[in-house]
Amino acid sequence: MSTSTPPQKTLSRIAANRLQKELSEWQINPPAGFKHKVTDNLQRWIIEVHGAPGTLYSGELYQLQVDFPENYPMEAPQVIFIQSPPLHPHIYSNGHICLDILYDSWSPAMTVSSICISILSMLSSATQKARPPDNDRYVRNCRNGRSPKETRWWFHDDKV
Amino acid sequence: MNSDGGGASEEDRPRDDEILAFHHAIRAADAEKLEFVGDKEPLSVLAAEYEAGNPVFRAKVEKLGQTYVAIRRARGDGNCFFRSFMFSYLEHILETRDETEVKRIQKNIEQSKKALIELGYQEFTFEDFLSIFVEQLDSVLPGRESSVDIDQLVEKCRDRYISDYVVMFFRFVTSAEIRKRAEFFEPFILGLSNMNVQQFCKTSVEPMGEESDHVHITALSDALGVPVRVVYLDRSVGADGKNTDVNHHDFLPPDCPTVEMPPVVLLYRPGHYDILYTREVQNLAPVPRVEEPQDLPELKGLQEAKETPVKSIQDANSTQEAIAA
Repeated sequence: MSTSTPPQKTLSRIAANRLQKELSEWQINPPAGFKHKVTDNLQRWIIEVHGAPGTLYSGELYQLQVDFPENYPMEAPQVIFIQSPPLHPHIYSNGHICLDILYDSWSPAMTVSSICISILSMLSSATQKARPPDNDRYVRNCRNGRSPKETRWWFHDDKV
Repeated sequence: MNSDGGGASEEDRPRDDEILAFHHAIRAADAEKLEFVGDKEPLSVLAAEYEAGNPVFRAKVEKLGQTYVAIRRARGDGNCFFRSFMFSYLEHILETRDETEVKRIQKNIEQSKKALIELGYQEFTFEDFLSIFVEQLDSVLPGRESSVDIDQLVEKCRDRYISDYVVMFFRFVTSAEIRKRAEFFEPFILGLSNMNVQQFCKTSVEPMGEESDHVHITALSDALGVPVRVVYLDRSVGADGKNTDVNHHDFLPPDCPTVEMPPVVLLYRPGHYDILYTREVQNLAPVPRVEEPQDLPELKGLQEAKETPVKSIQDANSTQEAIAA
């Protein structure tokens, strides 16, 4: 399990301002099924994910770790599952998530909240609990501690 | 899935992170070669570029010289349309000192803001981008605390933070305009991709680095009320197989007064936009909005410009043609 932070500079003033605003908005109006674990670290959020009722993950609890780069939101945050990642065809056993909006399709118009909603929707639409077919090879290649943002992802399956 | 190699070649093949590091190095090298916006160069640099090239290009570059005198390149990072628009428009205000125009565009910005909120965007997601653009608008008017000259404007448009924030603001405005008028834009979007309006905005407008097409230009020009001319430099020839006239298309927002030459003039070569100049830029006395062009000596060159009939963007058929072209 990799919880290491990629080499990262502290948040720019504008990034810190923006994150403060996101956090306030989250506190008033958190996305359903998520809980932000309060810490004093604005640059790393730990978020609890509750599997949605009526899905394969109903009643299960997972944790996301969100690390923000210096120039957030121009650049996407790094989002991974920590501890025991859910068994899902797009989630690797090291916590890395294959989801386009976290990489190529990231837009500064998105928020932590909209990421969470996408992740929950990805979990909820799963029809089987399984690791991606290339899990072992991928995880082995990540042993140097690389970030999922250093992966060239292929998003060829929109169904799950 | 990820693209790390499998099978026997696994050990020989570079890993994803190595490949990406290589890509980043190439991009960094490109960035050193060309700023977000380059220096203004005489149009003869284009002729030199095509010296040994395609004869149609060479003939067109020569004809381009009858109307346009200079070019300013934009970096080819997928944001070149928005970046060229930003510089070209701000430089136009800097030259004309047209406070009326700034007041006008500010009303359009307010409209876009309203549209974004109505479409469900939370204000905190776009307000930083909006205020950076408004700051730049203010700085190109004279007599402000933050007033800049042309060199400072160039410097600002080369600053990653300012430049990218303005580009992103334009992406918000473009997306809001497309979503707001989804019915109008839908047929053009279907012509470009097999996406619906929502998907198109999410994947081809809002992420940085996504290239622009007629749909983006129409939407931004309409939303901000800024006419844009795009001059096409490509290999196409007229129906007779010989005509090498340079085509252009004027994107005219609704209710826009007729203009001799749009404030934003871009050169399009397949996959890329740069800025074109019709005359030498001079920092002249304030110029009122054009009513009687014969009184404005600096517009003289334009009268000689070869004009194709201005198409109205309100006319969906002509837009369709332009998009199909």
